[in-house]
Amino acid sequence: MPEPVVENGGYMMAAYIVTAVILLAYTFILARRTRNKHD
Amino acid sequence: MTLAQRGRWTTIGALFLLAGIYVRALRYTPVEVHQGLAQKIFYLHVPAAWSAMLSMGFVGLASILFLMLKDARYDRFAAASAEVGTVFCCVMLTTGPLWARPVWGTWWTWDARLTLTLMLFFLFIGYQVLRGAVTDPSLRPRYAAVVGICGLILLPFIHLSVYLFRTLHPMPIVLKPSAPSLPAPMLVTLLLSFGVFTLLYVGFVMQRYALGEGATDA
Repeated sequence: MPEPVVENGGYMMAAYIVTAVILLAYTFILARRTRNKHD
Repeated sequence: MTLAQRGRWTTIGALFLLAGIYVRALRYTPVEVHQGLAQKIFYLHVPAAWSAMLSMGFVGLASILFLMLKDARYDRFAAASAEVGTVFCCVMLTTGPLWARPVWGTWWTWDARLTLTLMLFFLFIGYQVLRGAVTDPSLRPRYAAVVGICGLILLPFIHLSVYLFRTLHPMPIVLKPSAPSLPAPMLVTLLLSFGVFTLLYVGFVMQRYALGEGATDA
């Protein structure tokens, strides 16, 4: 049974947080790898 | 400035623009009446899906060019694009269920679109596992290229799956023959997000490609 639309803001926040975490994590991983290679 | 540094600055710029997309989507884009706030997941999920498919498209094209021209730069580019595509696929496969749970009432269903996108994710993973498993540097790019071309062949089936099969997944609202079926403020947010995710792809690939330069195990 789908939940009432007024209560689904938590899913939206979770999606925005998860996306930011994944993209920032990969950014840091890449930055560290490239720095290690060029140092 | 090296390629890695240019990629890093491109990525940082794209991340700032992504922050702007967050503000625009959450604060200034209207709430859809039927789906409520969960609909706003769509401004991240759809561009992430676009970037994942763009990544696999370039993996496939670079793989074809590598097999034709035997130029290692294409193989290196394919490897870079595959790794970046895996990241966007992770975003797509986490935001999708977070949208589906409140709207469909389930996290996941084995319909054609979802199953094919999961296959795309496994192809990305398989591509990289294969590259790590084949130790012969002359065979590795050729084997990987075959997987890359399989991924390219999968893409039209993913896009057309909502037409070809009975599926729960919404129909395309932008990438379709007729005009986009979305109110202007939502469409602008979505198109801006497409641009930012594409720029993020470019920044990531530049850095990842630079990592492979001079290495034999790219």
